[in-house]
Amino acid sequence: MSIRLESGPVVVGRAVSTGAASPSPASPETAPVIFDIKGLNVYYRDFHAVADTDLDIHRNEITALIGPSGCGKSTVLRCFNRMNDLIDGARVEGRVLYHGIDLYGPAVDAVEVRRRIGMVFQKPNPFPKSVYENIVFGPKVAGWKGNLDDLVEESLRRAALWDEVKDKLDGSALDLSGGQQQRLCIARAIATSPDVVLMDEPCSALDPIATYRIESLMRELKEQYTIVVVTHNMQQAARVSDRTAFFSVDVGEEGQRTGRLVEYDATDQVFTAPSLKETEDYITGRFG
Amino acid sequence: MTTDQRPEFHAALNSLEETTMDMADRVEKMVGMAVRSLVTSDNSLVTEVISSDDKVDELYMDIRSRWMQIMARQQPMGRDLRMMAAILELNNTLERMGDQAVNIARIARATAGLPREETILAKLVEMGDLVKPMIRTSIDCFVRRDADECLLLPAMDVPVDVLNRGMWKHVVECGHDQPLLEWATRMVLVSRALERVGDQAVDIGEQVAFLMTGDHHEFTRYTG
Ligand SMILES: Nc1ncnc2c1ncn2[C@@H]1O[C@H](COP(=O)(O)OP(=O)(O)OP(=O)(O)O)[C@@H](O)[C@H]1O
Ligand SMILES: [Mg+2]
Repeated sequence: MSIRLESGPVVVGRAVSTGAASPSPASPETAPVIFDIKGLNVYYRDFHAVADTDLDIHRNEITALIGPSGCGKSTVLRCFNRMNDLIDGARVEGRVLYHGIDLYGPAVDAVEVRRRIGMVFQKPNPFPKSVYENIVFGPKVAGWKGNLDDLVEESLRRAALWDEVKDKLDGSALDLSGGQQQRLCIARAIATSPDVVLMDEPCSALDPIATYRIESLMRELKEQYTIVVVTHNMQQAARVSDRTAFFSVDVGEEGQRTGRLVEYDATDQVFTAPSLKETEDYITGRFG
Repeated sequence: MTTDQRPEFHAALNSLEETTMDMADRVEKMVGMAVRSLVTSDNSLVTEVISSDDKVDELYMDIRSRWMQIMARQQPMGRDLRMMAAILELNNTLERMGDQAVNIARIARATAGLPREETILAKLVEMGDLVKPMIRTSIDCFVRRDADECLLLPAMDVPVDVLNRGMWKHVVECGHDQPLLEWATRMVLVSRALERVGDQAVDIGEQVAFLMTGDHHEFTRYTG
C-alpha cells in the first residue's frame, strides 16, 4: 500500500464542502482527525527521548506543540513526516496513523510522505539558487506537469511574498531578508501541494513584523492545509493555534530526561484555565 | 519542585492584589461608618466616609494603571490571567461599593435635623449588620482562595433582600407626618444602597469561584 492522496481537501469521515469557506473552518469539537497517534515512543539509540504519547491532529487547524527545551517537540514533529528516518539511530515505536494509514507501514514511501507533509525549519534554509528554482525544484522532481510560472506565482502569493519578489525571481534566494527567506521556504513547502505543513519554530529568527506576517499567513493557510507548529513563544502559540499540546520532561533516577505529553486541549482552555497544575505552572512561568 | 521563573512579574501581581485588598478593607469600614452616621447623626463620620472614598478612588485609578502596565508588559496566562481578570472586576465592584457608602453618609447628613422612625432605623442597622459580614466573607474567600465558602454568599444575601423589599411598607406607615415622610423616603434609598452592597459582595464571591475554577458562572441568586 502506498499513500495516494489527491491534493485539495481530503474527505475523511464526513463530507467537506470545497465551496464557500466557512468563517471558522474547524471548531475544536468537530474537525476530523488526520493524524491519530497512539503509544508513540521515540528513541535515539538507547536514549528514550519521548514516551507514551497519544495525540490527534485535526484537519484545517493549527496545532501548537509547546514545552521546555529538550522535551521532544521537534522529535515528535519529525514523526509526522518520517524525518526521523534520516537520523542515525532514531527509532519510532507506536502507531502513527495518517488518514487512517500507518505512516511507518512497510509499503509506505517515505519520500511521498514528505511531499504530502511538508516541513519548515527554524532557520530559513532556501537552496542557494534563484527564488524561482527554489519553488519549482520539488514539483519538478515529483514530475509536475502544469505551468511552472503559474505555480511559482501562486505559491509565492499564498506565502504573501509575491509582491516583494516578483521582480527578482531570477535573483538568488540568499539575497532575500530572513523573513522573506522564511516565507520563501513556506512557499516552497506549499508548492508541492502538501496536505500538512509542519513548522519547527518558524519565527524564532524573525523580527515582529515578519513574525506577524507569518502568523497571519498560517491562519490563511489553515483554510487549505493542516499545520503543526513547534514554538517556544507561548504568546505565539496563544495567538495562532486552535489546539495546544504541552510537553514536559521527566527526569529518571539516573538523570535520563524523557519527554512526555502532559496536556492537550483547545488553546483557549490551555492558556486561560488548563486542567493540570503542571501546565499552569509552565504557562505562568513557575517551573524548573 | 517548581521555581518561579518570573519573580518580578509575580511580585507586581501580588502587590496589585495587596492594593486591591487594602481598598476592600477601606470599603468595608466605610459601609460600617456610613450606617453608624445614620444612627448617630455624627457629621465627623460623614466627613470620614467621604475622605475615605477619595482614597478609594485614588487606589482605583492606581490599580487600573498598574493593571494596564502588567497586561502590556507581561501578557499573563492561566491562573495569572484569571487573577488579573478578577482584580479588574473587584476594583470596579469595590469602587462602586465605596460610592454606595458615600450615598448613605450623604443621606445621613441631609436628614440629620429630621424626625426619625425607630423601626425603620433598626431595620437599616440590621441590614448593615448583615451586609458587613458578607463583605468580610467575600474578601476573606478571595485572600484564602476559598471557592467553597464563597458559595454561602447568595444565602447570606437573602435576608438583606427581604428587608429591602419590606421597607416600603414601613415608609407608607409614616403617611401623615410630612417631615417624617421626608426622612423615611430617603431611608428607602439607604435600604436600596445596602441591598446593592450585598449584591456586590456576591459578585466578589463569583470572582473567587472564577479565579479558582475558570468558570464564569453567576451564583444562583435566591429570590426569597
Ligand atoms: N539526533 C539526535 N540524536 C540523539 N539525541 C537527540 C537527537 N535529536 C534530539 N535528541 C535528544 O532528544 C531529546 C528531545 O530533543 P528535541 O530536539 O526533540 O527537543 P525539543 O523539545 O525540540 O527542544 P528545543 O525546544 O530545545 O528545540 C533531547 O534530549 C535531545 O538531546
Ligand atoms: Mg526543537
